[in-house]
Amino acid sequence: MRNGALAGLRRRSPVHGLDRRNLRPVEVLAQSVSTAAPAAGMATVPAIVATTAGTATVWSFVLATAVALAVGACIATFTRRMAAAGSLYSLTAKGLGPGAAFACGAALLAGYAVLLMAALAGAALYTDAFLTRLGLAAPPAVGAATVVVLAALAGGLVLRGVRVSARIVLAVEAVSITVMLVIFGVLLAGPPAPPAPAAATPGWSLVGVAAGVLPALGAFIGFEAATALGVEARKPFVSVPRAVLGTAGLVGLLSLLAAHTQVVGFAGALGGQPEPVVTLAAAHGTPWLAVLLDLGIATSFVACTLATTNALVRVLFSMARDRIVPRPMGATHGRYRTPHVAIAVAVPVGAAVPAALFLAGVPGLTVLRGLLSVATAGYLVAYLLVALAAPLFLHRIGELTPAPVVVTALAVPVLAGVCGVFVVSALGGAVPIVLGALVLAALAWYAVLRVRRPRELAAIGVYDEPSAADVHTASGPAGRAR
Amino acid sequence: MTGLDPLPLSGRQPRAVRSALAVLEEVVAAGPGVTAKEISAALKLPQATTYRLLNLLVGEEYLVRLPDLRGFALGRRAARLALPVVTTPPTAARAVVEHLRGLVRWGVHLASFTTGQVALVDPDPDHPPAEPTLIARYPHASALGKLLLADQPDWRAVSRDLRRFTEHTVVDAVALDRQLTAVAATGLARQCGELRPDRGCLAVPVRGPGTGALVAGLALAGPPDRVAEPNEELVALLREHAERLSPLLA
Repeated sequence: MRNGALAGLRRRSPVHGLDRRNLRPVEVLAQSVSTAAPAAGMATVPAIVATTAGTATVWSFVLATAVALAVGACIATFTRRMAAAGSLYSLTAKGLGPGAAFACGAALLAGYAVLLMAALAGAALYTDAFLTRLGLAAPPAVGAATVVVLAALAGGLVLRGVRVSARIVLAVEAVSITVMLVIFGVLLAGPPAPPAPAAATPGWSLVGVAAGVLPALGAFIGFEAATALGVEARKPFVSVPRAVLGTAGLVGLLSLLAAHTQVVGFAGALGGQPEPVVTLAAAHGTPWLAVLLDLGIATSFVACTLATTNALVRVLFSMARDRIVPRPMGATHGRYRTPHVAIAVAVPVGAAVPAALFLAGVPGLTVLRGLLSVATAGYLVAYLLVALAAPLFLHRIGELTPAPVVVTALAVPVLAGVCGVFVVSALGGAVPIVLGALVLAALAWYAVLRVRRPRELAAIGVYDEPSAADVHTASGPAGRAR
Repeated sequence: MTGLDPLPLSGRQPRAVRSALAVLEEVVAAGPGVTAKEISAALKLPQATTYRLLNLLVGEEYLVRLPDLRGFALGRRAARLALPVVTTPPTAARAVVEHLRGLVRWGVHLASFTTGQVALVDPDPDHPPAEPTLIARYPHASALGKLLLADQPDWRAVSRDLRRFTEHTVVDAVALDRQLTAVAATGLARQCGELRPDRGCLAVPVRGPGTGALVAGLALAGPPDRVAEPNEELVALLREHAERLSPLLA
């Protein structure tokens, strides 16, 4: 019976063409950290959380970190056992089957694509803010131009090879986190100088803490992005799970530091502050921190642009190899070993939306917040599905133990609750309309596939299967025995 | 990196190391396709411990998970735990190689690829190759090595260190990739002074009859400027002898 076990081995991996097994662990980690963009989150997210959580803001972040770690543990269940380029989409397919995997893929695709748009918008917005502080005010058309230039640059670097882009992401992200640590260090070290409260904010309440988890989770989205580099990581089964869990922990720590600094700085009146860190810096007597802050946030968004493009095109690549998006997107460049067709499709789309919104005169901060809301919705759905898939996957391969069941049992209700809160909180704005349109598009796409490609749809979930050359048998690698 | 630090074994670690080795042995004993549950039952290890050890060994590439994600087999790295067994070619095969040596004035070498490396099994006694270990370690710089690389689904996984030996060594991955595609298409590998400036080589594959699997390579070594010539008659002679070796070696 066992003799047939090697019969199913392919001669080459179904994800051949990518630069296999070439990324160092720190480069894999940088991919996740950058997609989560902690520097941008540190400056903006605590004030949003504080509008509902008030003085309990820090506790909302503690809870969000726990949720992110639980989701990270579910993802690690897969990434310790398989290396994929399709991120959570390919993982969900192995636990929940094609329908749920398709939903996860569509949600994740929307999450990455819209996060790319948001990162481009954010980079343009804070570059503009940086220039304004230096006395160089620019019209909106400049914002749109910045988006296009940055997108072209990101596309070029991502095309140029996964190692090149990973190293640049690492360098840029290191700068932005260092800048943030300097800023918050200065603010924490100085004497508290509370500025005048902008608005009354709620005090400590359990409901407030719970409601704050949703915006706090916004600081984490993208922390799973290292999963998309599974094929290209040198030791994927070790470095990818570490990168995902490490990012959840790192972003959690940085967010807690940021939230604590700001809550203490405003003496409880943080909620609704439009630019909390700038206000704090001014009250502190160090206005130069504001310039540094804009720089830090802008660099964080630049790193996020690159890292998100990396992840987005690998999801598209995997879907093309699964034959559920046009096949050419699964092609790879002969020299750079990156999915060049997917890059050529994804980057212009990612740039067009924020550029058009800027040109239409929509305020930058509105663009950024709206895009981040849509992206968050995509991620929440994908996280929920992968958390559900983990114990089912373990059961299917006969390796289920109690711990993963407990993690899923804790994470899934919280995530489902957060999704519910999200839907309620978004009602009345433009976000539900966009989300509705995306859901309809995904359903239509699914219906088309069900009719025209049922076989391909049933078999989705391509990953880096071991090939004959990876297996050692008595007569050398298995390929030679045949 | 802590690779050189002394690593004290403490607490339960010796037991964990013993268990990991037992898991490796069990995979060998049970054969490819054995599942985690079966290993846990056979070794009487707690399931969670077994799964953790299996994931560790897969992470370090001593084991691989088979495409169904349930079964395990030995990984490529496990090959390093045993000395590669290089078998001496049968007398009939050596006679074919000796026959070729009588026809040409170049060095004639026979290499086996069954260990996944270039192993010279019948080097020419009159023109001994100076660098068998270099040929085995840096296949990109020799004609026999190029035959092996051209047969890989992904040569980059086998040859990471494209070391430069002479000014002729092909160290650009893209150029090498193009060269290997040509080698795969023509069934002829050539290097002119890539490992040593004064030595060149022509090599053709010996493939198993029926399966077409690459089992060995037959090479002619000579001065690089002579190797660079078309050498059509020599190549034809080389191919003819490779053909005769095929049923004797596969």
